[in-house]
Amino acid sequence: MANHIEDSAGALSAGLRSRAQETTVYKAPTALARNAPGYLFLMPWFIGFFGLTLGPALVSLYLSFTDYNLLQPPTYAGMANYSRIAFGDDKFISSMQVTLFYVICSVPLKLTFALLVALLLNRGIRGLPVYRAIFYLPSLLGSSVAIAILWRQIFDGDGVINTLLWQFGIEGPSWISNPDYSLYTLVILAVWQFGSPMIIFLAGLRQIPTDMYEAASLDGASKVRMFFKITLPLLTPVIFFNGVVQTIDAFKAFTPAYVISSGTGGPIDSTLFYTLYLYQEAFGYFRMGYAAALAWILVIIIALFTAFSFLTSRYWVHYDD
Amino acid sequence: MTDTLTTTSDLAPETERSRIASIAIHTALITASIVMLYPLLWMLSGSVKDQNEIFGQASLIPSQIDFSSYIRGWFGGQVTFGRFFWNSLVIAVLCVIGNVISCSLAAYAFARLSFWGRNFWFALMLGTLMLPYHVTLIPQYILFLKLGWVKTMLPLVVPKFLAVDAFFIFLMVQFFRGIPRELDEAAMMDGCSPWRIYWKIMLPLSLPVLATAAIFSFIWTWDDFFGPLIYLSDVNTYTVQLGLRSFVDSTGNSDWSSLFAMSSLSLVPVFLIFLFFQRLLIDGIATAGLKR
Amino acid sequence: MTLTINRRAVLMSMAATLALGTVGLNRAKAATSMRFLWWGSKERNDRTFAAIKQYSDKQTDVAIAGESFGWDNYWTRLATQTAGGNSPDLIQMDYRYIFEYARRGTLLDFSPFMGKALDIADFGAANIDSGKVDGKLYGVNLGVNSSMMVFNTDAWKEAGIEAPKDDMTWEQFGAACSKLTATKKRRAFYGCQDASGLEPALENWLRQKGKALYTEDGKVAFEAADIAAWFEFWAGLREAKACVPPDVQALDQLTIETSMVGLGKAAASFAHSNQFIGFQAINKEKLDITSYPRVAADAKPGHYLKPSMLVSVSATSPNKDAAVAFVNFLVQNPDAAKTLGVERGVPASEKIRAAMAPTLDDNSRKIVDYIARLTPKVGALPPPPPNGAGENSFLLKKVAEEVAFGKSSAKEGAAKFVEQAAANIKRG
Repeated sequence: MANHIEDSAGALSAGLRSRAQETTVYKAPTALARNAPGYLFLMPWFIGFFGLTLGPALVSLYLSFTDYNLLQPPTYAGMANYSRIAFGDDKFISSMQVTLFYVICSVPLKLTFALLVALLLNRGIRGLPVYRAIFYLPSLLGSSVAIAILWRQIFDGDGVINTLLWQFGIEGPSWISNPDYSLYTLVILAVWQFGSPMIIFLAGLRQIPTDMYEAASLDGASKVRMFFKITLPLLTPVIFFNGVVQTIDAFKAFTPAYVISSGTGGPIDSTLFYTLYLYQEAFGYFRMGYAAALAWILVIIIALFTAFSFLTSRYWVHYDD
Repeated sequence: MTDTLTTTSDLAPETERSRIASIAIHTALITASIVMLYPLLWMLSGSVKDQNEIFGQASLIPSQIDFSSYIRGWFGGQVTFGRFFWNSLVIAVLCVIGNVISCSLAAYAFARLSFWGRNFWFALMLGTLMLPYHVTLIPQYILFLKLGWVKTMLPLVVPKFLAVDAFFIFLMVQFFRGIPRELDEAAMMDGCSPWRIYWKIMLPLSLPVLATAAIFSFIWTWDDFFGPLIYLSDVNTYTVQLGLRSFVDSTGNSDWSSLFAMSSLSLVPVFLIFLFFQRLLIDGIATAGLKR
Repeated sequence: MTLTINRRAVLMSMAATLALGTVGLNRAKAATSMRFLWWGSKERNDRTFAAIKQYSDKQTDVAIAGESFGWDNYWTRLATQTAGGNSPDLIQMDYRYIFEYARRGTLLDFSPFMGKALDIADFGAANIDSGKVDGKLYGVNLGVNSSMMVFNTDAWKEAGIEAPKDDMTWEQFGAACSKLTATKKRRAFYGCQDASGLEPALENWLRQKGKALYTEDGKVAFEAADIAAWFEFWAGLREAKACVPPDVQALDQLTIETSMVGLGKAAASFAHSNQFIGFQAINKEKLDITSYPRVAADAKPGHYLKPSMLVSVSATSPNKDAAVAFVNFLVQNPDAAKTLGVERGVPASEKIRAAMAPTLDDNSRKIVDYIARLTPKVGALPPPPPNGAGENSFLLKKVAEEVAFGKSSAKEGAAKFVEQAAANIKRG
């Protein structure tokens, strides 16, 4: 099937490229006709956006200016929530620090592993489907309640890791229940689940035309050169995607901290992710208005980061169009 | 047909070096695989252990093997676990169909068509990725309540047909932009409408990313807990994730062996879907002959 | 373009049909249908569904749909449903949350039904009052419990030390725990947990000294000096190696399976009496119950009997009479009581307890005996906790951890705790 499409696409393009030089590009007559296709294709998204997303989002924005305890109607509170976030909330600062640390540590590591393993697997080694499935397995188990128990058994004072270290004469601390180290166990949990970005990198690698590699190797290029001159540039759209999405996800991370700390964010708030704090405020202490304010601060931070990524992407991301 | 990328090592005459490299790579991969597989083995081992052995020790070997947790887990509740599997399957399949169709339509528009306000809508679309869902949860719940959809699976499925998963739109946009525009332009010369280009050119050439989207969509829907928690109230409509949570109550008795047993079983459909769709990832469509 | 819309329409209608199909159930359309939401796991679910069935067999025109979840997600679901105006008719309530829900008008006041549809006079005033908020009755006691110490009899016997028993003092207990740790019969095994961050333990200790956590009018009833003494006391136990070190205690997330006894790290833990069955279920060795140690031989009573859980009815329920009738059935019908067992707590009704006595298993009997032993010695129920009290219990855990890990001194921690606790109460 692949060959058929290759051939027909190649013929189509080759044959018609000559025609392009003879005729001018057809332009639709009216603005409506020009814009119609775009809007029609976007119709499902518009319905979803205006009907299901925008409304609730605006309501939550409104709630951020109220006191809302979920059980009674909201009462207007002006800027009280936001000023408390700015000036009076230690947990906001500490949860932001925890989250930033998590983002900075886990995202680059996760993407590096994902890319390395994807490159390894892409060489067409024997057993590729099996390896790919095995490496994806941790992502499937991620939200399971069982992971909390497992992680504790690996990382506590007598756990698997310390038993291994003991073989080398090192006596390790209780990683998971010591506030100085507990966050690292969550970083490891995130990096261990590199399967998702790995799959995406694999799909991206598969889209790179093989004839480029053939041509380059005929020219005598080494594998390393080919990686830096062909693979990496053509993979930049996918790297960009994974980078942006993984960072947004890491800012919003909830389940790992919730499951591992049983929703407490402990010990001593060392694993209190921002969204876990938000969740506690919303559903633990019936302060939904404050939680909404926290959420919108997060949106602003993520939006700033994403805008920055997009603006700088033109310098290093290489699109084919 | 598939090994177009394996030829590079054959071209070089250093077969000996590449064999050592190959052994090294396989060793690394196998070691890494053990690390990846350990949790699954641990869960399987926990599912056949007696409950009071799970917490004291970390050893994988149970002192006796007891499959009763599978029976207990499957038949134990008010409703058999098979029913939960079926519910999860229905919801997940519908979500996959919805996501693939609606997100590819939107992605095509963003990636290929020009229309007024495109960048603005694209930015808004990305913005929807940034909102933590706990906050839109309550307003959305009230919206669905007013529509009368609470207690059914509609709030879980219908939004997928309306492209609410910006992740997939963004993913497909990145992949569509990697397909050369000459194909579109050539087809437009031929008088193809945007719909025909979408259907006949973009989609077939994007099978890897569509397969990726299908896999992720299935898995995330299968693993979704929060949505079913608040929208499904009748135990006959529960999904696997809700069913799994019923084994554990942190304030009282829990049945951990059954939890592990059913968690292990619930990985099976996901794995099967993964294996099924990843063939499309293997058969990557090489777009030879189109480079400038 | 038209092709797309048609295809999508077909798919949408498929989706709708499937959705409606799965919703439709083979339940006969009963005259009254209600929903009952509770938390618990398999054992409680089985028992509760059996009790529901007993009821529907007798009252054939009432259908009750049961929904249950684990504790962790229960409150999110209940809050979401209540916020949407969709709360269940019958709600299992917890002592900490009932104040939040009742004060915001979401629960039905049982007072008009007392003595008529709801006949719980034989609970005794204390057990009835435990469900009252601001003088009105919002929750019916589903089970009585109190704090307990659960200990591993096998571990104590192995160490050759006398196991803890009622009316021991804290000094004796501390000394016994240190001795147990010192015998080193098990690796990394200590006498007891570090309870400096456990709010019920602090409350018990304060009450024995004639103080309390909160005053009648909802203010903080302790001072920094009290808390500093508490933290210093536990620092002493840590130093004597009577209790577990901080990085082991931090594994305890207030659940049965992460408790020190559950994890096999200590020979004694503190919890609530109705959790005893859960503790024994995950532990191969034999466990037993006793009360908290005394501060001094003549100290005031630290324990009180509180409801392990209550059942309430939603204020917006359309089936108030039917719901109250069912509540009465749950707590006053001997057959229902036998079906439900004591895993929710010891039944508050005297005559129900008597009816159940012959059918109890060993573990349940231990709980009932414990409550019976404790009852003559308990003090009065404390005043209802103010809003923000729940947050303070987590605050105590956090500050105690800071002190234990050496990140602040006992005095600093105590000052911080008192200040923030008062702020939390004020914020509400």
